Amino acid sequence: MHVDFNQIEKRFGDKVALNIPSWSIEKGDLLGLAGSNGAGKTTFLRILLDLLLPTSGSVRLDGRLLAIDSSWRKRTGSYLDRSFLVEYLTIPEYLSFVGAAFGFTEEETNQRLAEFERFLPISRVDTTRLLRDLSTGNAKKVGILAALFPRPEFVVLDEPFANLDPPSQIRLKDELSLMAETHQTTMIISSHDLGHVTEICDRITLLDAGVVKRDIHTSEETLSELKDFFSGDRQTSAT
Amino acid sequence: MLASVQYRVALRRMRMQQGWFIRVVLGLMMIYSAFILLTLGFFFDRFSTEVWPNKPVIEVVNQFLLAAFVSLFFVRFLFQKTPRISIVPYLHMPIGRQSLVWFFQGASLFSIHNFYPLLFFIPFWLRYVRIDSGSNEPGMWLLAVGMLLLSSHFANLWLRAMLQRRAGWFYLIMTVFMVTAFVDETAGMGVQQRISTYIFSHILSGDLFSLGLLASFTALTIILSAFHLSRSLRESGARVEHARATSIPMPESWGMLGHLIRLELLLLWRNRRPRHYLLVSLLFSTMYLIFMLGTKNAFPGFAFAALLGLFASGGFVLNYGQLMFGWDSSYYPALMTRNVPLRTLVKAKLIVLQLSCVGLFVLSFPLFMWFRPDLIPLHFTFLFYNAGITSVLILELASRNKQAINIGKSGGFFNYEGFSAKHWLWFIPTALPPVLFMMAMSNRAQLALIILATLGFVSVLLSDAWTRYFARGLTIRKHDMLEGFRNSAR
Repeated sequence: MHVDFNQIEKRFGDKVALNIPSWSIEKGDLLGLAGSNGAGKTTFLRILLDLLLPTSGSVRLDGRLLAIDSSWRKRTGSYLDRSFLVEYLTIPEYLSFVGAAFGFTEEETNQRLAEFERFLPISRVDTTRLLRDLSTGNAKKVGILAALFPRPEFVVLDEPFANLDPPSQIRLKDELSLMAETHQTTMIISSHDLGHVTEICDRITLLDAGVVKRDIHTSEETLSELKDFFSGDRQTSAT
Repeated sequence: MLASVQYRVALRRMRMQQGWFIRVVLGLMMIYSAFILLTLGFFFDRFSTEVWPNKPVIEVVNQFLLAAFVSLFFVRFLFQKTPRISIVPYLHMPIGRQSLVWFFQGASLFSIHNFYPLLFFIPFWLRYVRIDSGSNEPGMWLLAVGMLLLSSHFANLWLRAMLQRRAGWFYLIMTVFMVTAFVDETAGMGVQQRISTYIFSHILSGDLFSLGLLASFTALTIILSAFHLSRSLRESGARVEHARATSIPMPESWGMLGHLIRLELLLLWRNRRPRHYLLVSLLFSTMYLIFMLGTKNAFPGFAFAALLGLFASGGFVLNYGQLMFGWDSSYYPALMTRNVPLRTLVKAKLIVLQLSCVGLFVLSFPLFMWFRPDLIPLHFTFLFYNAGITSVLILELASRNKQAINIGKSGGFFNYEGFSAKHWLWFIPTALPPVLFMMAMSNRAQLALIILATLGFVSVLLSDAWTRYFARGLTIRKHDMLEGFRNSAR
C-alpha cells in the first residue's frame, strides 16, 4: 500500500503537534518511526488511521483520500494501545471478531492463527480468561497478533516491543521481517527502541517536535547516527 | 490540603460541565423546585386542609416523614456519587486510610440532596412547629429531621459501598423492602405511617427515648458507611471473572451483525455497570410494576398509565440505551480502524434495544393480566411505541454521546459516570410526548392508543432507514466522538 501525507498540520490550540509538508511510504517498505516523548509519533499514527483529523492537509492511501474512502480498513491491521482491544472478550472471541471484520469464517481464522503459533500459541491459551485480566505484555501480544494474522497489506504498530518478553521480541521481529519480504506488507512501526527498529526496518523517519528531522534508509551507521541525535537532543533539552 | 484540592476539583468540574443551554434549563428547574418547596413549607396548611381537612398540619407531616425520607433515599441512590472514587488517587500518599475515609465521608455531605429538603423543612418549622410547641421540643423535632437527613445520606453511602462487594444483598434488600411496602399498602395496615407518627409526635412532646433511637440509627449508618467504605478500598482492582466467560453462540451466517449483537450481549453480561442497568430494568418491570399495578389509586388517570407502559417495556431502552456508544468508548478505536460498517453497528444496537422491549413486555405481561387487564391494550401499544419510537429517540441521543464510560474497572453499583444531567433531561422529550398526548386525548383513549401503536409500528418498519440515518450521523461525528471518549477517559 502506498501512503502519502500532503501538507499535514495538526494543532492543539496554539501548539503545533505535527507539521509534515510531504512524506510518503512505498508498498513493501518496513518503516521505523522514531522520536522522543511528545515528538508527535502517536499523533502521526492516529492521523494515519483516521482516528484524528488533521487541522489541515490530507492523507492518501493508494491515491484514495483517507477521510472519504474507508476501504483501507479492509486491508489494514493496527495496534496502538489497549483501546484496540475489546477487553471483556476472551482471546479466541476477540480474534474471531477481528477475523470476521476481514471476512474470514471461523475455520479460516483458526488456520491463519495457526501460522502465528510461535508468537502466541493460541492452542494453549486459557479460553476462559478475559482480555482485561491479561498482563500488559500478554494483552499487547494479543493486540499485535490481531493486527498481523489476517495478513493485511498495511500494518501500523505503536511500540510493539515494549512490555514483551525477550523471546516474544525476537519472534515478533522474525514475523515482521517475513511479512515484509514474502507478502510485500507495508509496515510502520513506532518505537523508542532504536536497536529493534534499526535492526528490522529498512527506513527510519525521525520526528522531533512534530517535524520530520531525518528520513533515512538504514545502514550500518544508522544506529550510531540516531544515538548521536538523541544524545545531542538530551543535552539540548537539559540546558 | 485535601480540602483545597477537593475545592479546586469541584470548581473545575463545574466549569467543564454542560453547555449554556443545559445550564439554563437546569437552573430554571432548580429555581422552580426551590419555589415549590418554599411555598409548601410556608403555606402547608392550605394544601393540607384540601386533603386532610380535620387533621393538624404537623400531624400530617409527621405521618409522612419516614416515607418522604425513604423516597429521598431512592433519589439519592440514583443520583448521588460515592466518595470511593475520590479517595483512590490519595491512597498511595502518606495519609492515614481512616483519615481519608472520614475526610471524604464529611466532604460528601456537601451534596445538593442534603440542602433541598431544608427548603421545605425550615420554613415549615418556623411557621408551624416553633409556634405550636413549647420551648425545647421544636428544636428536638428539627434536630430529628436533620438526623433523618444524615442517616439517609450515610445509609446511601453504606449501601453503595456494601453492594460494590455483594450485589446480591441489594436485590435481597430491595425485594424485602418492596414486598413489605406492597403488603403494608395493599393490606391497608399503614404500619409505616404509624411508626412515623409515633416517633415524631413523641419527639415533639419531648420524648428523649425516641430522639435517642433516631440518633442511634444515624450513628449506626455513619459507622457502617465508614466501615464499608474503608473495606471497599482494600478490594479495588478487577477480579478475574472466569464464571462469566461462557460465550453466546451466534449463527456464522449472520456475519458481522451476529458478532456485533453478541458483543452487545456480552457487554451486558460481563460488565458490572451495564449489567446493573439491565437488572434495574428487570426490577422495574417486575417488582415496581407489581407495586404500581397492585396498589389501588397508585397512579392518577390514564395519562399516567402511559408512563407506566413506557417504562414497563421500555425501561432498558431508556436507561441503558442512552449510553449506547459510551459503553463502547474504551474500544471505539478498535471498531473504527477495522472493517466494521457503521450501519451494521447501529443495526445490531437497534435490534438489541427492540428485543429488550419484547423481552420486558413478555416479562411484565402476566402482571398486567393479573392486576389490570384493562391496561393490556396500553401495554401492547407501548411495546410498539418503545420498539419503534423510544428506541430511535434514545439512539439519537446516544449517537451524540462523547463521554467515556469505564466499564472494565468501575465496580461501583449504579455509578452514573457518563450519565450527565443532559441525559436526565432527555427523559422529558422521550417520556413526556406520549403522556401529554394521552392527556390531550383522554376522552378518546382508544384512538390515542391506536395512533401511538401505529406510529411505533411504522417506525419499526422503517428500521433500515433509521439505521442509515444514524450511520450517517456517526460518520460525521466520528472524530468528535473519538476525541471526546479519549479526553474524558483520562
